[in-house]
Amino acid sequence: MTRKQKLKPWLYITPALLLILIVLIFPIVYTGYISMTNMNMYHWNDYDFIGFSNYIRALFKFDSGFIEALLTTLLWTVINMFLQISIGFFIAVGLNSTVLKKAGRIYKTLLMLPWAMPAYISILLWRVGMFNTEFGVLNKFLTLLGLDKIDFLRNNGIAFCSCLALNLWMALPFMISTIDGALQSVDSSLYESATLDGAGFWVSIRYITIPAIKPIIAPAAVMTTFITFKQFDIVYLLTQQRGYMTGANLNTVITYAHQNAFVSNNYGLSSAVSMLLFVIIILFSFITNRSLREEQA
Amino acid sequence: MKKATPKKAKTAVKKIAFHMIYILLCFIALVPILYALNISFSGKGAALSGSLSILPQNPTIEHYRTLLIDEPFLIWLKNSLLLSAGTIAVAMVCTIPAAYAASRWRFKGRRALLQSLLVLNAFPQVLSLFALFRVLKITGLLNSHMGLIVIYAGSMCVFAIWNMKGYFDTIPREIEEAAKIDGANDGQIIWKIVMPLARPATIVTCVMVLITVWNEYLFSTTFLLDSSTYSLAGGLYQLQSNDYSRSWPIFSAASILTSIPLVLIFFKIQKYMVSGLTAGGVKE
Repeated sequence: MTRKQKLKPWLYITPALLLILIVLIFPIVYTGYISMTNMNMYHWNDYDFIGFSNYIRALFKFDSGFIEALLTTLLWTVINMFLQISIGFFIAVGLNSTVLKKAGRIYKTLLMLPWAMPAYISILLWRVGMFNTEFGVLNKFLTLLGLDKIDFLRNNGIAFCSCLALNLWMALPFMISTIDGALQSVDSSLYESATLDGAGFWVSIRYITIPAIKPIIAPAAVMTTFITFKQFDIVYLLTQQRGYMTGANLNTVITYAHQNAFVSNNYGLSSAVSMLLFVIIILFSFITNRSLREEQA
Repeated sequence: MKKATPKKAKTAVKKIAFHMIYILLCFIALVPILYALNISFSGKGAALSGSLSILPQNPTIEHYRTLLIDEPFLIWLKNSLLLSAGTIAVAMVCTIPAAYAASRWRFKGRRALLQSLLVLNAFPQVLSLFALFRVLKITGLLNSHMGLIVIYAGSMCVFAIWNMKGYFDTIPREIEEAAKIDGANDGQIIWKIVMPLARPATIVTCVMVLITVWNEYLFSTTFLLDSSTYSLAGGLYQLQSNDYSRSWPIFSAASILTSIPLVLIFFKIQKYMVSGLTAGGVKE
């Protein structure tokens, strides 16, 4: 191969690489650098290099709030994935049941609508249209029933549940669609012979449906787990828009990092947390990728 | 006969129960959207009234008129279209040659490069906000559409390269060999032979970029500071942070108008969405 031919592929890759360098690589390197300094609102330009103290503070000082945010995020991810997969599964199984016939497809199309909406619009619509004490449908409904109004974002507990409900509303369509697709790939003769052998609904689900669709939905479930872990928009737009704090102080790891940078201007700590998250996510993807591959092999 | 009747009745009950459950589920899925539609067409005071009605009270198109004439909605729309078109152009021009090189030529570092792109994607975008702010400030691109286009294009690069490369891999090389013998150069081969064959993947990639840009609010509200440069996201964000009682119906109208094109595109390409989203992560 001549020198020119060796260089040619890189010539073709350079424009994309340049973009990636500016938009993806530089922020990571810069964040890594800032994480070693004490940059904050008092040391905006004259910040010093302080080694790993930001990391130590995030990980070992409980009052930093990072560990709390991490635990909240893990709880959030686990509850979400459990509910998304189980609810999504039953809705998809129902859609495929012979009882609904063609109407199942119409229901499915309507159920996909929340997925098609721009996420920030959905969240803002929910914030005012559903959860708001004066304008929200939920509170209007409670009033009609003669009950007291509820501020759905008042404190951490109820705000967590409100965020959860909204996340399910936004994320279930993808799960339903994925499981629905997987269900349609299951050979229907398996069910017929199982019925002939006297197997009931639950037995068929347990021994035919779940093993058959597991490898198909596993990659989608892993991807959704990452997205759920990295959830920012819902918590941010519902409870922490600038000037519109609702009283809840709920933080996922990403909102925690964002809040430390843009609200308390603690850039050093925020950057350290960002780097920790980067490492956590990479480790987690290596582990899941490996187990996905083993399962499919 | 006697035995069949209770069974038939049981099936009928089951059928009704199923339909009721699914109608309820669809209703839950649609409530926020229906309510926004309702408010956007309702006369003054409907948003605050205690009653709930399915149809708008005192129907009016006043809010849409206000939105289109008094509010700079059309400017926001123009800016969003500009950002989307710009991002698609920059992203495709940069990633198609890269994807082609990664698909066709086996060069040193190719595998490592493709893998490390996926690793880079693990860094949550929200957390780059501060660093990107600095980049834009230093280069003087703050408050400009060009700066945002570069950022959007860069953040879609990994997806676009993997998606296009995956499709290029499925196009047989023999077709290109023939053209090469006829004296076509690489540029001509990509433009005249590969790209027409890769149209489905190109469309899906472009639409995914479009959806991402249309739906992005955090960067556009942070980096565009002047309301004449706002995209739809920035404009809507500003509308909702105003006094609710005045702007909530207008915000509803704006939400509906902003969502319609996306919903239509979504249902057009829905079957590609699932495969397109999950493909990159597990391959190779």
